[in-house]
Amino acid sequence: MSLTPYHELKARERIAVIADAGSFREILPPPERVMSTYLPKLGIPVSFDDGLAIGHATIGGKPVYLAAQVGQFVGGSVGEVHSAKLVGLLKSAARDKIPCVFLIESGGVRLHEGSSGEIGIAEAIRAVFSCRAAGATTLAVIGSDIGAYGGMGILSSCCDFRLMTEHGRLGISGPIVIEKWMGKQAFDSANRALVWKTSGGKTRYVLGDADLLVNDSADSVRAGIISFLSKSAKPDLAMVEARQASLEARLEKFGQISDPDEIWKTCGITDIAAASLAEAEDFAKSFHPQNS
Amino acid sequence: MTTADLLAHFFGASATGITISNKIATGYAKVGDQDVCVIGTVDGTYIDNAAALQMSEQVLDCVRSKPGVPIVMLVDSEGQEPNRTAEMLGLPVYFGHLLTCLQVAREAGHKLITVATGKAIGGAFICYGMFADSIYALDSATVGLMPVEAMSAVTKIPVAILEELSKTLPALEFGAAPFALLGGVKAVWPTDETLADKLSAAIAAATPEDTRAALGKERGGRPQAYDVQQRVLAESAR
Amino acid sequence: MEAFQQSFPSHALAWPPSRKWALAGVVGSGNLEVLIEPNPAAPDTVSYSVETPIPGYRDSWLAALSDFSAHYAVGGTTITLHDQGAPPVVVKLRLRQALDLLTSAQS
Repeated sequence: MSLTPYHELKARERIAVIADAGSFREILPPPERVMSTYLPKLGIPVSFDDGLAIGHATIGGKPVYLAAQVGQFVGGSVGEVHSAKLVGLLKSAARDKIPCVFLIESGGVRLHEGSSGEIGIAEAIRAVFSCRAAGATTLAVIGSDIGAYGGMGILSSCCDFRLMTEHGRLGISGPIVIEKWMGKQAFDSANRALVWKTSGGKTRYVLGDADLLVNDSADSVRAGIISFLSKSAKPDLAMVEARQASLEARLEKFGQISDPDEIWKTCGITDIAAASLAEAEDFAKSFHPQNS
Repeated sequence: MTTADLLAHFFGASATGITISNKIATGYAKVGDQDVCVIGTVDGTYIDNAAALQMSEQVLDCVRSKPGVPIVMLVDSEGQEPNRTAEMLGLPVYFGHLLTCLQVAREAGHKLITVATGKAIGGAFICYGMFADSIYALDSATVGLMPVEAMSAVTKIPVAILEELSKTLPALEFGAAPFALLGGVKAVWPTDETLADKLSAAIAAATPEDTRAALGKERGGRPQAYDVQQRVLAESAR
Repeated sequence: MEAFQQSFPSHALAWPPSRKWALAGVVGSGNLEVLIEPNPAAPDTVSYSVETPIPGYRDSWLAALSDFSAHYAVGGTTITLHDQGAPPVVVKLRLRQALDLLTSAQS
């Protein structure tokens, strides 16, 4: 299983390869049957874990709280129970002052549960900052094809760090929504290269939104996670002032561009084709991110 | 009601301290005798990367120059407009930055209060307004994830079924009152001459604890959230 | 949604359970999740609980489950299935995977 590309692994398989062998103790496991009460009313199948497996584990010997979203289940979307599990896990991490690692695979709020998932994600975002205030590192691992979108994109952006693979995407509006709004001429959601160049790990890394870009393997993702477990990025005025300046500079430098290749070129990537094909860690070595 | 009227209701003559540029409100005003910082959206505008930076810059100015001054966040936004350049340039990160600035303000002792005055939809609400210590909505505000028609278009569940279910599931109903039942807002206010007093009282009463899950359970709109959070905390402690 | 329960006789588990429960599959299109839990009180019986969004196949389900119970030793377990349109070959695969996990050597 450790040879399977990370992006092809299911949530529980990811936990099995990321956590130290046998260390994962699931909280509210499937037999507890803590499930959605909305979905049955809509005639939609429920899942025992509401699409989120959470628990305590060690990674590289270090205790962590770990969560993995099941992208196949209603698009990994976040409903009332799913978000409550996230909040409970984050509060546990803040209480115990240990890291909270999220293996993200989600389109955002679960529409079928309306505002309950929306409020739940807002609560989770507050809980992320409680962790950061308590010195409990929060890490968003974005390495699945579904990516981290909508409210989960926002939550990922509030964590101390973002670890991405080339397959991961970080965004707010998904490609189909963009195509519907702007028209197929302006944005063709079937153009995978364009979609990934717009929101995928390599571009996010080049712009400084991903703190680390790793290869699409369980070993690389695990090693990447371990590298963050003893770090934190406590928000303070100096940090956000620097970020404000860098985000303003980004808009000024690239605001008129619509082609991601232009960003890559401006960042010093001369052979776009080679860079597109390059393995993530080789790409990261050669092309230094914009100042974040 | 025009934006100018709305601002006057909350801030009286001091509303002149608020600048509106690209439908983003920023500035300083007074609620009663109390100085406040104001950020927000007006006229149902969209929030893009630049708009988020306008608001975060105001928050930073407040932290730098106005110690202890509460930050009032007004929300009247359609959300984010789907745009390839916005996404390419990392829109979620701009939202994350705004939230981080608000956290820095909170930790520096600034209270955060939100009033949803018009549209308060999904991402536009999550990226700042829903981060406050206390959140309120005008009774005319359209608050929630999205209207039923949009929900139906994406989920392929007929509008009639969603509307029928929303009668017993406030989570599916779009509006300030059902959102309050879920604990999403503390209270719903009519738009009248008591708004400034209500906002004053809200600022005074605000505490940093996030009580929305308990409220959602108490009011019945979100029966599971609080209990599940508590169960996770209890199980993780063992 | 259609839901039904049915028990069948089955040979008792060939190996003792190595864990309190096992899960196979996910609730995604064309797939299903299967939760198997030991039920030592009824060692020669397997009890199934099925939820499926596709109506009208109750007889097919029961035939498949009866068949599985006859060919595999799953007595002394409760098996719950959340289906999302899985074809019979996938149902059988997940049932076998769940059984294997329940009794597998590694924890």
